[in-house]
Amino acid sequence: MSTAVGRLVRAELKLMVRDPLVLTFVFAFPIVTMLIIGGSFGSSPDPDFAGARPSHWYVASYLTVVIAATGMIMLPVHLASYRERGVLRRFLASGFPRFSFAAAQFIVGMLVTAVAAAMLLVVAAPVYGVPAVHVPWRVAAGIAVGAVAFVSGGVLLGSLLPSARAAQAVGLLLFFPSFLLGSGGPPPKVMGSALRDVADVLPLTQVTKAIREPWLGIGTATSSLIIVSLLALLATVVAARRAAL
Amino acid sequence: MRNQTVVMARDLRKRYGGRAVVDGVDLEVEEGEVVGLIGANGAGKTTTVECLQGLRHPDSGVLRVLGYDPTTQADRLRPLIGSQLQDSALPDRLRVREAVELFATARARDAGELLDRFGLIERRDSAFASLSGGERQRLFLVLALLNRPQLVFLDELTQGLDPAARRNVWAAVGQLRDEGATVVLVTHELDEAEALCDRVIAMRAGQVLDAGPPADLVNRHAKWATVRFSWSVADSTLAELGDLVGVQSVRRVGERVEVRGDRRVIAYVGADLVRRGAVPDDLTVEVPDLESALLRLLEGAAA
Repeated sequence: MSTAVGRLVRAELKLMVRDPLVLTFVFAFPIVTMLIIGGSFGSSPDPDFAGARPSHWYVASYLTVVIAATGMIMLPVHLASYRERGVLRRFLASGFPRFSFAAAQFIVGMLVTAVAAAMLLVVAAPVYGVPAVHVPWRVAAGIAVGAVAFVSGGVLLGSLLPSARAAQAVGLLLFFPSFLLGSGGPPPKVMGSALRDVADVLPLTQVTKAIREPWLGIGTATSSLIIVSLLALLATVVAARRAAL
Repeated sequence: MRNQTVVMARDLRKRYGGRAVVDGVDLEVEEGEVVGLIGANGAGKTTTVECLQGLRHPDSGVLRVLGYDPTTQADRLRPLIGSQLQDSALPDRLRVREAVELFATARARDAGELLDRFGLIERRDSAFASLSGGERQRLFLVLALLNRPQLVFLDELTQGLDPAARRNVWAAVGQLRDEGATVVLVTHELDEAEALCDRVIAMRAGQVLDAGPPADLVNRHAKWATVRFSWSVADSTLAELGDLVGVQSVRRVGERVEVRGDRRVIAYVGADLVRRGAVPDDLTVEVPDLESALLRLLEGAAA
């Protein structure tokens, strides 16, 4: 790993392992809330959950919480703190290629998302069971473009916000409404119509739909998949431009 | 040997919010030179070197650094430059050894030798956050030199360091000079510039006031000397000293006599005292340093 990106990824992963608190939010928050919410509505098929078991509904929804925690909290705070402390200036002045840092953050974000998602399923399996995946390619595509959209979005957000504190404030403000309305909160059927309208325009809602519906066999969510794919493309292009050193 | 120009700026200008921070700077640095940019805080030194490194885009002016235009060819220029920046840091938990691995490109020299030379070899497993200010600066120096740069920028190298740490860092820069590296040093510590630089460029309010070897600047702007000694004689005898070549003032300060004038007074006062058979055993001579010269220069520029 002698390329700049390789060296950066290696250093970042070492630092993360050394400071696991950084990862707590991404790893622990989705698991803990999934265990609480997933057990709150029982495990019998329920019309409010499109006929799926509520516990399975939430297991299929919470991968998105991992994606959102990485993209809305972890990456922006991390990048903004690097800029605030002058770490980015040092990389820049030392001749790191322009896109190396953004690319390294993208790779690290994708790796963290993958590991945290796997841990979520490992914890869910003995408690609620992992529901059978009805259309695997659609679920895989939804996870992939959803992760790309939010990880790139996180890199972008981190490049726009001036300080780690600002990133944390903005990140939490974006994260919790998205989490409650678009992924880990009540199912759309029990929301009022106004709330549902708000939920529908949240990017995270579209990611969740693109993963949950083909997973549980309650829909194809083709339009959500297309929307998220476009968001992923847009976020990646803009993030690459903005986060270049 | 020193003939190739590695840094050139012509009429460099940069404004922030209507204020001219760099206001028509011309400068040149030749290969193998250690050049200091000196001046008070806010003189435009850091902005100038940031433009030279392509970290900021100038409003106008022509820049050439190692044959590249730093504004448009920074990607090609930066790998050739070693840079120690003001206000920068590394991740807290990154260890010295890992920092070196992270910054080392294929052109890197043996890091162990560098760490040893800068007294960091014992600290190679220490986290950045645990390093003292001096150790951090020395690590930044190691990183700046790691990839065999053709040109090194050092900005406020010893800011906030204790005197011992400062001497350590100075010695390191001295070694660089002995190895023939080209160094641009930004500092407002004039003793630092005097100790390290072959040539200094004095800046004020975004403009170059004067440039040259430190001794030349002193000669140009502060060519005076003060001679002090104990001598109990009548005022009329004392007044005779005032007629010596180069003397501007003679006065008593307590028990001692203070003669001030241009550098010639040192010889003439000495000779006069010998002629009179009144050689004092506590005679001291004060000649100005770069700081006095710069103060003069600044007063002149402000007037």
